[in-house]
Amino acid sequence: MNMEDQKKFRKWFKPSWSYVTGAVLLSILQVITLIVTQEPLGITSAFSYWAMRLQGFLGFGTPDHWAVVTQLMVFRETLWFEENLVTLRNLGIILGALLSALLASQFRLKKIKSGKQLMAAALGGLLMGYGSSIASGCNIGAFFSGIGSMSLSGWIFGLFLFVGALIGGKLLLRFLI
Amino acid sequence: MNLGDQKKDQFSKQFSTGLILFAILMMVAIFLFQYAPIIAFFWISGLAFGYILQRSRFCFVAALRDPALTGSTAVTRGVLVALALTTIGFTAVKYFYHVNGQTIPGQNYIQSIGMNTVVGGTIFGIGMVIAGGCASGMLMRIGEGFKIHLITLSGFFIGTMLGNNHLEWWSNHLLWIKDGVFLPDLFGWVGALIIQLMVIGLLYRLAIKWEEKQEL
Repeated sequence: MNMEDQKKFRKWFKPSWSYVTGAVLLSILQVITLIVTQEPLGITSAFSYWAMRLQGFLGFGTPDHWAVVTQLMVFRETLWFEENLVTLRNLGIILGALLSALLASQFRLKKIKSGKQLMAAALGGLLMGYGSSIASGCNIGAFFSGIGSMSLSGWIFGLFLFVGALIGGKLLLRFLI
Repeated sequence: MNLGDQKKDQFSKQFSTGLILFAILMMVAIFLFQYAPIIAFFWISGLAFGYILQRSRFCFVAALRDPALTGSTAVTRGVLVALALTTIGFTAVKYFYHVNGQTIPGQNYIQSIGMNTVVGGTIFGIGMVIAGGCASGMLMRIGEGFKIHLITLSGFFIGTMLGNNHLEWWSNHLLWIKDGVFLPDLFGWVGALIIQLMVIGLLYRLAIKWEEKQEL
């Protein structure tokens, strides 16, 4: 490959795709995932799984909860990536984004800006964790996959996501910006 | 070497690192494939998911936040397109299994509806806006180099643990429809598809109108 071709090749990875391109590709990924894994895309079940494992390891919780934990632990003495495939996919999301950022020369190690930002991230994470746990899913599993599966729960979850985003936007203007 | 050259140098360095990373990721994929093809699929689909999210700047948080905060509905419309296309694809797959008398895949995503949906959705919505990323966005941004989202992830994990321990309470209180509602059960396959696509279309028009109104 000469210099010119090399440049062209490199440039191909640079431009951002349109939202519609993203929407089309994500939908194709969803459908293939449904066919191959017999389940739509989801993310937070992996967090739930490891939270339960950790809790089982530390040994606290309600008896009902315990049954689930031990059940999960008995026949899962295998390699970590076999235990919970959603975890493997989540790791793939991180590395896929890293790959994309590197090929487009957009990777930047961004420092934490302030204590305020740190608190907002921790609190936001905490709220998302609790919410996704009780509603069985996040923007992907409960909203995107839920509505895609023509489940009424997806629409209701989405409606209240919007309500929450309105409240969050107000908080953002009041305290953070 | 002037500043511009240094910048260029750094760019080509990132690109080469990217190519090496690609080679490593593919080697892992081959290893996993030999282990079990389905495991390799989870790996590759995750990589594709992350790649698409980063390249198209697709963000579910912005889709739900920006109409009220900045008045922009560009991402919102992108998400609506994704919802419409996924609905069509999923329904085709599900219908195919249904007419062939096989178990319809993914029906465990038809969730029960109750106060947990309302409260869960609302606090998830607040959390994602405060943190500036949801589950997928947070993972994507960790890949882009945002250290802050490692904190978000830690908070997410602790929140999940808390929620898990209250799950029993939520499933015994204020649960309105235990088995959830699969819309085709109510309106038939074609009816449900048409109604859902019409609702998405209506929201799309609303999003365009909303943005036009902001510009005036």
